[in-house]
Amino acid sequence: MTKPVVHVDHVEKIFGKKSENSFKALDGVSFDIYPGEFVGIMGPSGAGKTTLLNVVSTLDNATSGKIEIAGKDITMMKQNELADFRSSELGFIFQDFNLLETLTIYENIALPLSLQGVSSRKIKPLVHQVAEKLGIKAILAKYPVAVSGGQKQRAAAARALVHEPAIILADEPTGALDSKNARSLMETLEHLNSHHEVSIMLVTHDPLSASYCERILFIQDGALYKEIHRLDDQAEFHQQILNVLAEFTSLDRS
Amino acid sequence: MLWKLLTSSMKKMWKDYIVLLFGLTVSIAIFYMFQTLAQNKAFLEANALIGSIVFVFHVGTFILAFVTIFYIFYATSFILSLRQKELGMYMTLGAKKGKVTQMMFFETLLIGFISLVIGLIVGVGLAEVIAGLLMKQLGFNGGGFEAFYSSSLITTVIFYAILFLLTAAVNAVKVASKSVLDLVRASQQADPVVTKGWKIFFGTLFSIILIAIGYYAMINMGTFMQVGVIVAAITVTLGTYFFFMALLPFIVKRLKSIRSLNEKGLNAFTFSQLQFRISQLTKVLGTVTMLIALGLGAMAAGLSFYHNIAIQTSMIYANDVAVYEPTEEQLAEMDSLEFLERNNYSYKVTDEGVYFLKDDLLNNPPLIQKFTGDIDQLTETARVDDPLDQAEYSDTATNEEQMISDDWSTALRNELLATFRIFGDRTLYIVNQEKFGQIESEVASVMVGRVENFLDHEDTLAAIDEHNKEIASGYTGSTPDMIGSKYDNYTSLKALANGTIFMGLFLGIAFLMMMASVLMFKLLSSASADTHRYQMLRKIGVRRSKLSASIYKELFLVFLFPSLLGFVHVIVGMEMFSIILIEPFTKIWIPVTIFLVIYVSYYLLTVQMYKRIVLPKEK
Ligand SMILES: Nc1ncnc2c1ncn2[C@@H]1O[C@H](COP(=O)(O)OP(=O)(O)OP(=O)(O)O)[C@@H](O)[C@H]1O
Ligand SMILES: [Mg+2]
Repeated sequence: MTKPVVHVDHVEKIFGKKSENSFKALDGVSFDIYPGEFVGIMGPSGAGKTTLLNVVSTLDNATSGKIEIAGKDITMMKQNELADFRSSELGFIFQDFNLLETLTIYENIALPLSLQGVSSRKIKPLVHQVAEKLGIKAILAKYPVAVSGGQKQRAAAARALVHEPAIILADEPTGALDSKNARSLMETLEHLNSHHEVSIMLVTHDPLSASYCERILFIQDGALYKEIHRLDDQAEFHQQILNVLAEFTSLDRS
Repeated sequence: MLWKLLTSSMKKMWKDYIVLLFGLTVSIAIFYMFQTLAQNKAFLEANALIGSIVFVFHVGTFILAFVTIFYIFYATSFILSLRQKELGMYMTLGAKKGKVTQMMFFETLLIGFISLVIGLIVGVGLAEVIAGLLMKQLGFNGGGFEAFYSSSLITTVIFYAILFLLTAAVNAVKVASKSVLDLVRASQQADPVVTKGWKIFFGTLFSIILIAIGYYAMINMGTFMQVGVIVAAITVTLGTYFFFMALLPFIVKRLKSIRSLNEKGLNAFTFSQLQFRISQLTKVLGTVTMLIALGLGAMAAGLSFYHNIAIQTSMIYANDVAVYEPTEEQLAEMDSLEFLERNNYSYKVTDEGVYFLKDDLLNNPPLIQKFTGDIDQLTETARVDDPLDQAEYSDTATNEEQMISDDWSTALRNELLATFRIFGDRTLYIVNQEKFGQIESEVASVMVGRVENFLDHEDTLAAIDEHNKEIASGYTGSTPDMIGSKYDNYTSLKALANGTIFMGLFLGIAFLMMMASVLMFKLLSSASADTHRYQMLRKIGVRRSKLSASIYKELFLVFLFPSLLGFVHVIVGMEMFSIILIEPFTKIWIPVTIFLVIYVSYYLLTVQMYKRIVLPKEK
């Protein structure tokens, strides 16, 4: 049996110190993500999705429980180790402000490699290779302001991918895109996942985006509520997702 | 209710408000400090060598006021940029436009008032400390200088009150003229810098040509005179602005295009930040450069003037010491001076005359400073070699042959100090041994000596002057105020120059502080807009120490270029003074050190405040 890339074991996250002010945003969440998996995280607003992603991505630390990424326990690491860990093992795509607007797309994508001390001779072919995969070769010399929202997110995906991280973490990457661009980005991610074995953990609100995943974890009030798997048909999976979400709305009403 | 919202969000943005308050306070403090001198006419006129000093300070006040007005308008518009999004939000929630406008007005005024109070207190303190330090260093007790000077206080208050009222009104009008949507959408997005190739090319060309013309005019000041000053002022200023508009972006672009450098660690980010910064700051950097040049120039010129006094006195005197009738003790003490050369000359004094023994003078002819007629080197040290064939010479002889020659006269007066101060209206004679023996008086002697550096022995020289004055009172019956020795001349020139130097330094320091704070404020006021970039980098895994290093590097370069260019301007500009100063570069390290201390402190302070704003907190 292969080892999971992400192993989350009874993780709790409590905001605030004092008991009366404290809020339990994550309440004993456990799950695994295996290499090459494309996992979606869904749930109603305030359920703790972003919190979960932040804890997994080492941007925030868990109050208790254990998180292992690529076999390394990140809960015990120091700030600098965490930074180094993020730069080598994780790739990020955020909703917006992904790219540094003072750098060209090329420089943005090259940044993770430069940070790891890859020589500039090796950087160029790597950047071109990943840009090719994402279909953004033509805009490498441009600045972020000069490209479309969809292209920006592709560039962000390229940057998340270029240093071959253990997993890509994405928080609402399609949140700021129109449906056409959203679809195209999701197709690209799916392609990366199925053809290049890239592991992806995706937080999203959008059922259509979520339907590109292989597996979806639903969380509710900081705890795992349900898990569904895609069989084959994407449209069917989409419907399945909508059904689960409908359960939440009815729960809300009751 | 609205007020409550405002104060609460002011608390949230306290970092930005601290930057703003700091900027305003510094400006007010410096303006006040400058006024304490500029308005003290009595002090200026009593303590300056230069007659037009009051005019110089008027010009200084004008430049400072000019810079201050821009600074304050910029700083207060910063309040608006901090606020407008929020004000827009209140308006969408139903707050009346009039109310919001009013709030902006009072907020600007309130911040102005707070900074005025703090600024004046800091200003009094600064004036006290800086004046105290300078006076102590210069050994100058400028009586009449007051750190707490009420007329400057009033001027400063009026000047800033008007400025703040105006800017408050401007801010209010700006809010009033904007639609709700304009306000809500207001955000500072950093556009990348893409400068056109031909613009850079011509700008660079202009910059180099203009600066070259200015430098040429300054170096050849002797030929161009006033026209040269005007030409240099215009071309160097313009060239400097072109430098920051074209040449510097060009250099950074070149740096960036070196792949192996740009793609190393965070360099791509650091350079792009720098590029972005420079494009935003061209005018500020140009202005800072020019005012650094002015401030540093004022200090350097003042100080080199001061240090040239020693050189100037050395141009008149070849020897450093002349002691009349030295006592045994004095002779013993004198050994510590380590004379390069010392000679004794015998003389006798009667009621009518002073008789120097020719043989002594001929055996050890004294050194004097001879005029050469050459502009570059006015005098040179030489031994008197005029023959003394006659039996007797005097300075009142009717017969040409028996007149004491010019060189011998210089030797007696400047080197042996045989003047009316010591001998009254006695006639000077040089006589041979035979005549000398016939004069009915005791033989006395004067010792003349030359040391390595007379400034090493100031105490001894002062004591010798006193001793000579006593001797003089024995001959003339009254003690002279001055004895006319080299040291005597040096101290009185220095006393005169001190006031001027004090003012030059004071002026220079005020300008440098002002400039550095303009730069600092400009950098910090745009810091908030950079925050998301640093957060982004932190998220994708850049160590905090690397981000910090990037900030140090970037701001270092931003601070470096104006100082470097300003420094070169000063070095070349000092050449102008070579027509009035003998060695314009003596001790240039002193103003340079003062400048570096001020500038480096500002740099470090800026880095710290910038880091505090842009770097996320770490547990
Ligand atoms: N820094 C914080 N301090 C206190 N409570 C927080 C903090 N961050 C989040 N929370 C709380 O934790 C809960 C989960 O927040 P989280 O941002 O993870 O929700 P989410 O599922 O991402 O919601 P959304 O879909 O709206 O983005 C919320 O109730 C939120 O109020
Ligand atoms: Mg969220």
